[in-house]
Amino acid sequence: MRHPRIDPELRAALTIVGGVFPPTITPDLIPFMRRSYASGPREELLAGLPVTVDDVEFPGYAGARLSASIVAPEGVGGPLPALLAFHSGGMMFGDRFSGMDVVLALVAELGVRLVTVEYRLAPEYPYPFPVEDCYGALVWLADESAALQIDPERILLAGASAGAGLAAGVALLARDRGGPRACGMLLDYPMLDDRGVTASTKEFDGIGVWDRVSNETGWRALLGAAAGSDDVSEYAAPARAADLTGLPPAFIDVGTEEIFRDESVEFAARLWRAGVPTELHVWPGAFHACDIFARHTTVARAMIRARTDWVRRTLLP
Amino acid sequence: MQELLGRIHTLDPHASESIRIIACFDELMAGGVTMHGLVAAAAALSGSAAGAEYAGRVVRVARSGEALGADPAAGVRRGHEDDGVRVWIEGDEASARLNDDLLLERLSLAVRMRRDHADRTPPRRDLALLLDPAVPEPDRLEAASRLRLSSEETFRVVLAPLFATWKAHPRGPEDVVATASGPLHVALTRESDDHPAGTPAGIGIAAPLRDLSISFRTAMVAVRLHDGISVEASHADDLGGLAVTLADLAQQSGHEDRARIESVTAHSWGEATLDAITRTTTMREAARVLGIHPSTMAARVDSLTAALGFDPMTGLGRTRLGIGFLLWRVQSSTVLDAVTISAD
Repeated sequence: MRHPRIDPELRAALTIVGGVFPPTITPDLIPFMRRSYASGPREELLAGLPVTVDDVEFPGYAGARLSASIVAPEGVGGPLPALLAFHSGGMMFGDRFSGMDVVLALVAELGVRLVTVEYRLAPEYPYPFPVEDCYGALVWLADESAALQIDPERILLAGASAGAGLAAGVALLARDRGGPRACGMLLDYPMLDDRGVTASTKEFDGIGVWDRVSNETGWRALLGAAAGSDDVSEYAAPARAADLTGLPPAFIDVGTEEIFRDESVEFAARLWRAGVPTELHVWPGAFHACDIFARHTTVARAMIRARTDWVRRTLLP
Repeated sequence: MQELLGRIHTLDPHASESIRIIACFDELMAGGVTMHGLVAAAAALSGSAAGAEYAGRVVRVARSGEALGADPAAGVRRGHEDDGVRVWIEGDEASARLNDDLLLERLSLAVRMRRDHADRTPPRRDLALLLDPAVPEPDRLEAASRLRLSSEETFRVVLAPLFATWKAHPRGPEDVVATASGPLHVALTRESDDHPAGTPAGIGIAAPLRDLSISFRTAMVAVRLHDGISVEASHADDLGGLAVTLADLAQQSGHEDRARIESVTAHSWGEATLDAITRTTTMREAARVLGIHPSTMAARVDSLTAALGFDPMTGLGRTRLGIGFLLWRVQSSTVLDAVTISAD
């Protein structure tokens, strides 16, 4: 069989996923992916969840007025911890609710607020727009915490894939600019490194939902011709940061069968060496973002449980 | 996953959810997935809690994959019972979906396979039997008659990856068949009344029932040569006698000319140049197709000649290049892995 190391339940899920989310994304597929990865109708997303949603605006890079949504647990008052979330989508597609089903469930389950951000997308808005938009959201959230009923000591940066790269970039910016300090960073299968030199980068061409070519497309959209050169900021590609000391406690999860496996594991190892409390989970047989595409499977459920447990410990000690 | 099925439908209204569901359960069975995993997949695909019961044991799973206790009072929107195994999808009638029956039939089969600790692989279905030359001819013809196919007619095999989009769906029997390239969508068409067109799809040469495996192998060559963009299928007939030649060669490794051609394609200009040469008759024409200066073309041909060990522009060299390049394209094709969507 073609993908012997992918978990059998996940291999079955790929028969359904294939075609909706092609494993190899070239620039000509960006319009298709923007349609395909767009979140569904809000009523469907929130159906059955005891939450309220407020759409707000915040100042992004260079003061641009950008949108965000605050999802709050119904009937729970007072200052609450908050997840400041940056959605997945390879830097090029997705909206603030794309791939967010699992995170949305945490709002009521843990009694926390979710602030999810509509950062601007590459290639139309290359670096530094996306990460600076996200940093702008953090600063705004901290400034408005009293009005928004958010505990400023309990803001957790959370991202998946490209969003996780953005979360790490925001954490670095906050450290270096003396900005608001997040209480943790949740990095799900993070997109950290435009150099694409790890072994796992090359192992999964045409497999899963995000392969080497897709990654090159995303990094090139974000960085243009500078992608892969010496001329790339660590805020764009956090794996390049020489100094990881002083970053908030981290949680990293990644699958064994995805291109980000090695750069995620290396980043965790470097965080430990820098004295940053870090929890790392590497899920056997998992392809990239399997918890988004195949949430019902044994591996995805274990992944979600471990992550939820850490979020609970970090936000509600 | 039920949302994904919905999206498949939105992206391509002619797409077959059934083919996906069949492929999904084939993989679950081949993977030896637990009862819980089987029912979880059915729940995820149906968008509703699902259950299976046999010999007093109940497995009930929410669409999120969480295990649920037994609940005899739960409303059932669709149920199926076979050989001591009862399976169902919960919810009210209004939530029933067209593919519920297929889902339950596949779940029931998978549960029975698991219960019986049988060989993980369920008995092969008729289309797979019909296309396999290793199966004795009488068994193949029996499979054909179960599929209601006449031995008087000729047929063509149509092959496509599961994610193919269709301008015109094939109208004959279809199924998912396990191949070395993973599970593929396979269909049969009669010569007369059916002109399938899919992206990507390959249509094999016409053959009588007893020789359908050659149509299958040439359909594989054809689909692997599809450019992934054209809305028309790739036809093995367009290759004439080369279709069978390539099908035979593709099964072997270590073809000398193909190996040298592979080394040429490592250059950024390699593939396009070889392609232009095979499509034109002179260096000047090839240069024009490539949009390069004739002297650049001449330099490339010199490099090619050195790398190949023969002159690709004249005599037998031309033929060797043509066949070697086609063979390389067939064997290195990624069209069955990667979706290419025409801009719209």
